[in-house]
Amino acid sequence: MTKSLKLAAFLFVGLMALPSASLLGQQTFTTTIYFDYMTFMSNAGPYTLKPSSETTAYKNNQFLFRRAYFNYENKINDNLKFRFRFDADNTANITSVSLTGDPVSGVSTKKDDKLRPYIKHLFLEYSNFLVPKMVLNIGMIETLTFKPAEDRWGYRSVAKTLVDGYKDITGMDILATSADIGLTMKYSFAKFFRAAAGIYNGTHYSHAENDQFKEIEVQAQITPIAGFSIVGYYDYERKLPVASPPAETAPATSMFKVDAYFEMIKNFVLGGEWFVFKNDLYQSGGEKYDVGGFSVFGRYTIKPDSFALFARYDDYTPNSLDRDLDMTMIIAGFDWVPFHKSWKIQPNIWLRSYGDGTRYNANATSNSDIVLNLTFFLSF
Amino acid sequence: MKKITLIALATLIVLGGLLMGAKTIQVKGSDTLVNLVQILAETYMEKNPGSALAVLGGGSSTGIAGLTNGTCDIANHSREWKAKEIDLAWEKGVKPRFFAVAVDGVSIIVNEKNPLNEMKMSDVGALYRGDIKNWKAVGGPSLGVSLYGRQSNSGTYVFMQEHVLGNKNYSTDMKEMNGNAQIIEGILQDEGGIGYVGVGYLFDQSGKVRKGLKVLNVSKTPDGQAFSPLDKAAVDSGNYPVARALYQATNGKPTAASADFIRFEISDEGQQIVVKEGFFAISPAQRAENEKNLR
Repeated sequence: MTKSLKLAAFLFVGLMALPSASLLGQQTFTTTIYFDYMTFMSNAGPYTLKPSSETTAYKNNQFLFRRAYFNYENKINDNLKFRFRFDADNTANITSVSLTGDPVSGVSTKKDDKLRPYIKHLFLEYSNFLVPKMVLNIGMIETLTFKPAEDRWGYRSVAKTLVDGYKDITGMDILATSADIGLTMKYSFAKFFRAAAGIYNGTHYSHAENDQFKEIEVQAQITPIAGFSIVGYYDYERKLPVASPPAETAPATSMFKVDAYFEMIKNFVLGGEWFVFKNDLYQSGGEKYDVGGFSVFGRYTIKPDSFALFARYDDYTPNSLDRDLDMTMIIAGFDWVPFHKSWKIQPNIWLRSYGDGTRYNANATSNSDIVLNLTFFLSF
Repeated sequence: MKKITLIALATLIVLGGLLMGAKTIQVKGSDTLVNLVQILAETYMEKNPGSALAVLGGGSSTGIAGLTNGTCDIANHSREWKAKEIDLAWEKGVKPRFFAVAVDGVSIIVNEKNPLNEMKMSDVGALYRGDIKNWKAVGGPSLGVSLYGRQSNSGTYVFMQEHVLGNKNYSTDMKEMNGNAQIIEGILQDEGGIGYVGVGYLFDQSGKVRKGLKVLNVSKTPDGQAFSPLDKAAVDSGNYPVARALYQATNGKPTAASADFIRFEISDEGQQIVVKEGFFAISPAQRAENEKNLR
């Protein structure tokens, strides 16, 4: 029996030996859903371009489910908490595969866009682990990458934050995720300084481990004065060797990120984040390029739990060697609770401008898109 | 362009409506304090027409989080702030100022059919940790112990854990009730029950301890004398070992409206209401500290 098998068997026996009552702490079930009514306010940009033919579908307005979360949390005792989260989105799913011929000569697939659940979080959180103020998370856990920015931006229902938000738009994956399998340790040294470190598969919640390398993340936050914080972040992972020129025998990816948050004025949050994703895999004409950008956002709560205004400006560079692909985005909107805080309405407008719109859609005649979203946020 | 104009107009209308609404002081937090502060707020609003206060419970943790997140103006809490709450407040630019508004003897209660009249504090801790499961072990009848307590967002839950359980975990057998009133209802129907509640929840309309309940005297040390939480002198002197101040917190110096309400709470008139509701008045030293924090 290998060492790891022995350890797994020991843990299993230990868990089974726990009295069942000790696993029944405070249990909560919650659901969060957000969906949009989206409509185009321009018709010539790369995304909003109106087709020349009247018979071609033009999805310039639609209801769109974006996310549905189902959470189960169990606070087993004051130090131990368990979370299980189903996430659901409607990214196209292959629902069947048909093979034809004998021997097989053809393959066809069917797809649909139904909301389908998948496991996003499945972890234990151990507070005061080893020493007071140390927190251990283990399992399918939240990574350190987006969390500070997402918490301050506060409108994940409206838009993902900078590092997470452009993968789908640009098609340029930057190997960053909100959840992965592994463990993190967080420790608060003092109110002025806290730090965290994590180790993960690096394949994120959508894939099993596919190589021998692990991703590491480190983060440090200093808050020199009340309401002003600076967060530094770094991650690194080796990748399998690649043969394409220039041949890399030990390629790696890494991200540097710095956030700053100003929260000194009551009910007002001003935040900024800057990042650069460096890697040995993305090349253009044999030359490596980076992905990067910065974002500035603010929100002002006029009436807590009732009404808030928010705005954001992003500047994103998907390829440091090809600045025509650069884009900027302005988001502005408000957050309104008409009846009860379980139901929010968040109308918001997006203005996206491109260095050269034709790089994203060859037929575009404008370098900008304007989209209006009426976002509905439900939480119960 | 027409669409954008319409949106801007709608936003302005909603904004205007919100800004023109009367400013209500939002008070949130401790369930031990909620009834008392509601009565104080009602009296204050009667005396000050045009003032508006909304008082909600939810537990000390809820109030502290509300103050940190900006969803309330005053947080009620029946325990000290935890280190992680202080750290988070610092990060969010919240500098809490504390005001003691009442003193509470956390009362250990049993069903009146339980023959015990007093307990050692260490035994109360042992019961709640689940180390002792039968009343016989502490001089009572041969009867299983049913534990009634609060949920972990309650300040009383945390206070008991820190001061009586020696910072150990509660027994997983403890029934975690929503509030003081639910604990009392449980004890009234359970001969083997033990619970803890704020002293202000013990009394009926006539000002007597509710029928069917027994309030235990508690001794600080195994050989020490046991005292009652109903004995103000014992609570003030610290002889009753499970006593505490009940606090309110504001984000920095309170606004004029919040400060005026707090001044009323700690005035002689406010403190008479505190006593009438079964709690104890704050000490001169606590009053002086409050005055300092109001400036």
